[in-house]
Amino acid sequence: MTLKEFILSRVQVFFVLVTLILFGSAILGGIYAPEQELHYHHLFSPIIIAAACILPTCVTYYKKEPTPVQYIIRQIIELILIEAVVMFLVQAPPKYSGNEIRFYLILGIMIFIIYVFVEVMTWLQKSRQAKQLTQQLQVFLVKE
Amino acid sequence: MQTRITKIPKDRPELIEIQCHTVSDEVREIVAFVKSRQGQLSCMADEKMYEIAVSDILYIETVDNKSFVYTQGNEYETKQKLYELEEMLKEKRFLRISKSMLLNLMKVSSIKPALNSRFMAELISGEQVVITRKYVADLKKALKGEKAQ
Repeated sequence: MTLKEFILSRVQVFFVLVTLILFGSAILGGIYAPEQELHYHHLFSPIIIAAACILPTCVTYYKKEPTPVQYIIRQIIELILIEAVVMFLVQAPPKYSGNEIRFYLILGIMIFIIYVFVEVMTWLQKSRQAKQLTQQLQVFLVKE
Repeated sequence: MQTRITKIPKDRPELIEIQCHTVSDEVREIVAFVKSRQGQLSCMADEKMYEIAVSDILYIETVDNKSFVYTQGNEYETKQKLYELEEMLKEKRFLRISKSMLLNLMKVSSIKPALNSRFMAELISGEQVVITRKYVADLKKALKGEKAQ
């Protein structure tokens, strides 16, 4: 993968994250804190959080194809860094006052579940793609 | 080097003859190209020359700037560079699947997912080779009968 390709893919992920964070904030805010008033500077929050979450994904950049072990190690480092960034940016709400560890533990588990879920979905999509390629291959071999 | 083409009657066998002062790399390249067009590849194993049928090749791999040809149960070395072989064999259903490997699509039995946006091609010999992310798009095009980039 070239650096240019990697940067382009990160920019795409950044905009997807901004949209999702904005969408999630609007829905969760509307449900749990409808009385909360926002200021203009709050509009920067999705951009800042998305940018902060993109930075750890840079550990997955490679020039030379990594081995499966290197790939898994990089994924683990990426997950740990994302956990750290999100925990640093997100403050425990007042109702968890005095019990912040519990809040951050739940948050950490949630990030882990979402991360694993995304990886599993990606793997399933790849399996479907591989199956499709095998079918195309069989058609190709018959034609030849 | 001059070239000359002479038309001959159908009852005489076709022949390509190269008259040269020395058998240089350039001459060997021309010979290899002609042979590949006829479905053969000149390879070496145990200091002996072999003419391998292109249809028997599973894949060709470059290791330390040397090209190795793999058939079921055998391994040969060839003087040609991978990019030359790629050019020569593209009409024979060979496809580049990584920086260092050319795969004979006719010898693939299935494609499986692998880590890191890659795929794994399982060959009829049971061996598995990695298709790197960069070449997945070319594989899709090749299977659809389109020309790869």
